[in-house]
Amino acid sequence: MSKIVSIHSFRGGTGKSNVTANLAVTIARAGYRVGIVDTDIQSPGIHVVFHLTEDRVTHCLNDFLWGDCQIEDAAYDVTDAAIGNVAAGDERPRVFLVPASIKTSEIGRVLKEGYDVGLLNDGFKRLIQKLNLDFLLIDTHPGVNEETLLSIVISDRLLLVLRPDQQDFQGSSVTLELARRLDVSEVSLIVNKIPPGMDRAQLKNKVETIYSAEVLALLPLNFELVRMASSGLFVNRYPEHPFTRELNLVANSLIK
Amino acid sequence: MNSSQNGTDEPLSHLDALLTRMKSAASPLREVLREIHAKYASLDDGVVASYIPELAKANPAWFGISAVSVQGQAIDVGDSDQQFTIQSASKPFMFGLALEDHGREHVLSKIGVQPIGEAFNSITLDQVANRPFNPMINAGAIAAADLVDGKDYPERVTRMIEMFGRYCGRTVYVDNSVFTSERMTGHRNRAIGHLMLNFDMVSDRLDETLELYFQQCSLLVTCHDLAVMGATLANGGVNPITGVRAIDAEYVKDLLSVMHTCGMYDYAGEWAYRIGIPAKSGVGGGIVAVIPGQGGIGTFSPKLDVKGNSVRGIKVFEELAQKFGLHVFEADDKKKSLISQFSPPK
Repeated sequence: MSKIVSIHSFRGGTGKSNVTANLAVTIARAGYRVGIVDTDIQSPGIHVVFHLTEDRVTHCLNDFLWGDCQIEDAAYDVTDAAIGNVAAGDERPRVFLVPASIKTSEIGRVLKEGYDVGLLNDGFKRLIQKLNLDFLLIDTHPGVNEETLLSIVISDRLLLVLRPDQQDFQGSSVTLELARRLDVSEVSLIVNKIPPGMDRAQLKNKVETIYSAEVLALLPLNFELVRMASSGLFVNRYPEHPFTRELNLVANSLIK
Repeated sequence: MNSSQNGTDEPLSHLDALLTRMKSAASPLREVLREIHAKYASLDDGVVASYIPELAKANPAWFGISAVSVQGQAIDVGDSDQQFTIQSASKPFMFGLALEDHGREHVLSKIGVQPIGEAFNSITLDQVANRPFNPMINAGAIAAADLVDGKDYPERVTRMIEMFGRYCGRTVYVDNSVFTSERMTGHRNRAIGHLMLNFDMVSDRLDETLELYFQQCSLLVTCHDLAVMGATLANGGVNPITGVRAIDAEYVKDLLSVMHTCGMYDYAGEWAYRIGIPAKSGVGGGIVAVIPGQGGIGTFSPKLDVKGNSVRGIKVFEELAQKFGLHVFEADDKKKSLISQFSPPK
């Protein structure tokens, strides 16, 4: 049974895409087929972490939404960049990525014309079926828009990424309220960019009390991640780092 | 919350409407409708109506399916926003307006509710009761139009358009080309009208009533509109999207009864047997159907069978009736809740 997981944040800059990419790798390393869809159509970026360059991309999510290709035509096997060499005959582990277009004209077209958001749902289902995915991770655009709400609706799990910041706290309440009104069965929280010296137990308790939702991970403010500047996957380079250990907790929670 | 849930005539808030739309986009029914649409899109049987010249201009490939729940969730597949003229699918709704204006007893004295198994444009009248047999054939529909109140013709047209607007949840317009075409070629309807005038079945403002009838048939709708109209009847007369009451709850069952027994021209008996839900078709290619307490379904495909019903439309309903056990007399263990299919499974 496949699981759809939406990773969302109310505000930009929470580290959502990095969390998504590294979480996908962590789950795949446990022996699963993982798909990622970048629905952040207005400001795509997750493809960079997987070294998916423009010359390799013939189709992307936008093409599917315009009816120019099937969703699986826009899916790229990024297993090699994600977890290294896997024998060609091995079905697992695998990581696939459906990127959104980074062409200005394409982004402009989406903003101007919009698209049938229901197509996204059709695409997600087809992608799971065609690629035989165990997990589909949806990287969403920050804030509240149609594709975000749709991905929340169809998710088995919603992971909400926030920083220990008053603005994030307030905005996340909005997302949680919407998620509950959309009958999402399971909402979990990931607190990211926790500065050194902050009482983690107290923070966890405070956030769980405010939102009545479980905090799955407390991710430290990560200077190594900043230094990597999206040049690769953090969990591969720093397998013993506290950030990686915390992400393992999230992956285990999703896998169980 | 909408009226169907909280018992008031409150429209959906913007946020509720957005969340509802998102749930609809992720509903299992959307997938079912897409599959059915794909299955019958290549079906090429039937011919586009041509007895009104303007209708012949329809693209035979057009094909849309829409479903709207009593909770206001909407699913649209294919050419669901393509406009076409409502034609005979307007008849139950005008019958409803006549009922509101004059009450059941008076209307029944003027229009029967007896299926006759004849074509929609048959020149057949109940001479014993001195009235047309039912409001779903042209004679009965003209008699229903005659009963629509108003101090003058413009007011009657306005009342009609406002009534359809309440059902659709938007302002509707008349297609002037079709209206002109109807008016120029509507000799048979004029003959029916004059025959009824001869027997005192309609009032002497017949020319005005025929104009109103031609306008009524020339209203532009989409199959999404038809689904909303069906959902409004399924919801006791309240439009589930706007929360506006379109018809007095007392008369909803009158409309559904005649739709069930007479709504599909001379295919009505077989429709009731095979599909078994109240519905009305029009030669523009539309079919509006009602699943009481659950929702409305609208289909649009201009190619018609010999009885004047949309070929693809009938196929869609056959499939849906079978899949969800929609037939009114379906055994309980075969019935599935269509309304539950509007929301994503959790």
